[in-house]
Amino acid sequence: MSFARLTESYQVSEHIWDEMCHRGQIRPHYESLLHSLSKASLDDLASKDDMAKKLFMSQGVTFTVYNSGEGIEKIFPFDIIPRIITASEWAHIERGIRQRIKALNIFLDDVYHNRFIIKDGVLPASLVYSCPNYLREMVNVPVPHGIYTHIAGIDLIRDSDGSFYVLEDNLRTPSGVSYMLENRNMTYRIFPGLLPKSNVRSVKDYPDLLLKNLMALSPRQNTEPTVVLLTPGIYNSAYFEHTTLARLMGIELVEGRDLVVDNAKVFMKTTAGLKQIDVIYRRVDDEFIDPLVFNPDSILGVSGLYYAFRKGHVAIVNAPGNGVADDKAVYPYVPDMIRYYLNEEPILKTVPTYALDNPDHFNTVFDQIHRMVIKKTNESGGYGMLMGNAATDEQIATYREEVKKNPRQFIAQPIITLSSVPCFLDGMMKPRHVDLRPFALYGPQGIEIVPGGLTRVALREGSLVVNSSQGGGSKDTWVLAS
Amino acid sequence: MERTDNMLRMLRTNYIASQDEILDFPWQQHVAHLATGKVLQTNPVTDYREALYVLLLSKDNDSSVFTNIVRARENARSVQDYITKELWQNLNDYYHLVRSPQTEKIIREDDPVTAMDLLLREGILFYGTVDITMYRGEGYAFLNLGKYLERAIQVLDIVEMRVRTMDASANEAVHWKYLLYSLSGYEFHTKEYKNALQAGDVMNQVFLNTRFPHSIMYCLLQIERYFNRLDSLSLPESFKEIKFLLGKAINELRYHSDEIQETQQIERLTALARERVLTVSGKLATYYFGYS
Repeated sequence: MSFARLTESYQVSEHIWDEMCHRGQIRPHYESLLHSLSKASLDDLASKDDMAKKLFMSQGVTFTVYNSGEGIEKIFPFDIIPRIITASEWAHIERGIRQRIKALNIFLDDVYHNRFIIKDGVLPASLVYSCPNYLREMVNVPVPHGIYTHIAGIDLIRDSDGSFYVLEDNLRTPSGVSYMLENRNMTYRIFPGLLPKSNVRSVKDYPDLLLKNLMALSPRQNTEPTVVLLTPGIYNSAYFEHTTLARLMGIELVEGRDLVVDNAKVFMKTTAGLKQIDVIYRRVDDEFIDPLVFNPDSILGVSGLYYAFRKGHVAIVNAPGNGVADDKAVYPYVPDMIRYYLNEEPILKTVPTYALDNPDHFNTVFDQIHRMVIKKTNESGGYGMLMGNAATDEQIATYREEVKKNPRQFIAQPIITLSSVPCFLDGMMKPRHVDLRPFALYGPQGIEIVPGGLTRVALREGSLVVNSSQGGGSKDTWVLAS
Repeated sequence: MERTDNMLRMLRTNYIASQDEILDFPWQQHVAHLATGKVLQTNPVTDYREALYVLLLSKDNDSSVFTNIVRARENARSVQDYITKELWQNLNDYYHLVRSPQTEKIIREDDPVTAMDLLLREGILFYGTVDITMYRGEGYAFLNLGKYLERAIQVLDIVEMRVRTMDASANEAVHWKYLLYSLSGYEFHTKEYKNALQAGDVMNQVFLNTRFPHSIMYCLLQIERYFNRLDSLSLPESFKEIKFLLGKAINELRYHSDEIQETQQIERLTALARERVLTVSGKLATYYFGYS
């Protein structure tokens, strides 16, 4: 198949940053990939697409949807054409994320201790204290090594000029890293020989880096700390990720009922008796980790866990209370945090954001609602969102009333047209919109960012919603070494 | 069959490593180490597909998976009265799979992992069929003796080869990781040894860990176990001699005092273990099969 035949159906709008094409020309960093792909026929590519689906299914890389009491295994849609990021683009992203995580971590330490940022008027006190994820229980509680944001997933998008914007920070229990690893494994299966000749950086070190950081957080001076991954259980949509990470790190995967607290120490029930736990990588939300302190109805957590944490007998990753830093209403203040704490200019741009509890903002937003997206400050996964350009008048009116009831819970942003990348759909190459979630690990020895991340793709034509819960898929992300 | 299984696992691991982490994988060195026979007189291999073809399917390679399976089937044909019909059928299926043009096509043009997985699956079926259908008599004991002797030798070969490849590389941990993957022992290692991959821990697992089914110690203990079943079927003097040699090998390994950290120490231990395993194997051949 010729180069031209492969790309003939690839039509890109001039107002969108396409990562492969620029003014009808292929960008240099995509040339080698396209050259390799053009050696195969469209039928061959379709077979590879089929093969990827079968492999995901046979390897159990699935999530389960429960319907009528029956579990249905579904695969997270995977697009076979990798997304490519150049070394210089990655260097920029890496610097920007490092800066942002550093500032957000200082912010969390500050907001739970001295509150200088509030006293100096950089951030309004009402914004912090009205945040449902601000945990008063964390005030003046020291965390190991002063680190709150051990694992962060920063969602990035590219505007029409190609510049990277942070769309949101995920500092609580960011998921998706297992798909990053599996997507890479899939690439070498369907395109043998392509990775070695494409100079792509490996993402395989992620579990090792994570384990190293987790072990370094142990409050006990022992060479072999006991680290566990606390999962909500098999019905959680990210359960595949929990099992994958536990297996790759060689740590126990536990549920709340497997743990018990005695004398402010956390123990795991084993056939040989109780075993003290040093570090808990929890994938359970703050609200559910300890029914004695947070939600009393929770059966996912462990009674007394928070007390053990406060006493310094166990490290919890990520630290409780991080939700105040990734609240969407706090997001527009992150550039100010960077300036305030680090005395630096933000490297990555921030999307202009309107807080809807401000009456002026409220009116401005609803006057130009067709150019806006409204989001709930504490929701993720694309839930509770209104895309102004796709909503009916009736939906807008209903939403407006809902916002009026509790405006603090909503923010609005201008709709940014995400960049597009080539996808193999219906036997042809077509452009689709994407974002990028790189994963940063913050340990006692500093911040490390795995060269890659999860590229989420809106598979429906024209759609800007990349969330898996809303019909999005993913693709392998290549960061070139040079 | 054991040789085939180990070889497939190692090639699968090394192929995956060559795709994503050890990008300049020394395939020619691999072929030179593993292949035997006429194939070595031809031109050196230039890429991974050619290397995989030589090691998996070449008829001119006396040590290829193809040759192994053909020989295993020939052996099975000659002892059909000692093996079950299911086992014979399983070997036949394996034989037809390895000869199939489709297998060759996958290795030459598509995803080699798929082909290796298909072959590995036949091997797993073989082990399952042996376990479920073979009666626990003399034949079963000899089958297991052969299996664990071969496994020990294969593990030593794989360790030796990995250590040799490491000389040229700065990143030792990556090689230890792939050594463990080759032996299906990486997950066990992460659970059992909490530290980052270190030579001492890896060697402890590979040589001494009695819960790791690919360790030399595990193999020796299994050989001892199945050999003991031959007590009543053996001449007392030959039984005693081999039992002594086995005990000596196990104890020498168990009480080996060197901390295994350096390449030279690994090489010394590998040589010692190999010598002991081959001695046992030789005596078994002499006393029970009449080879001199």
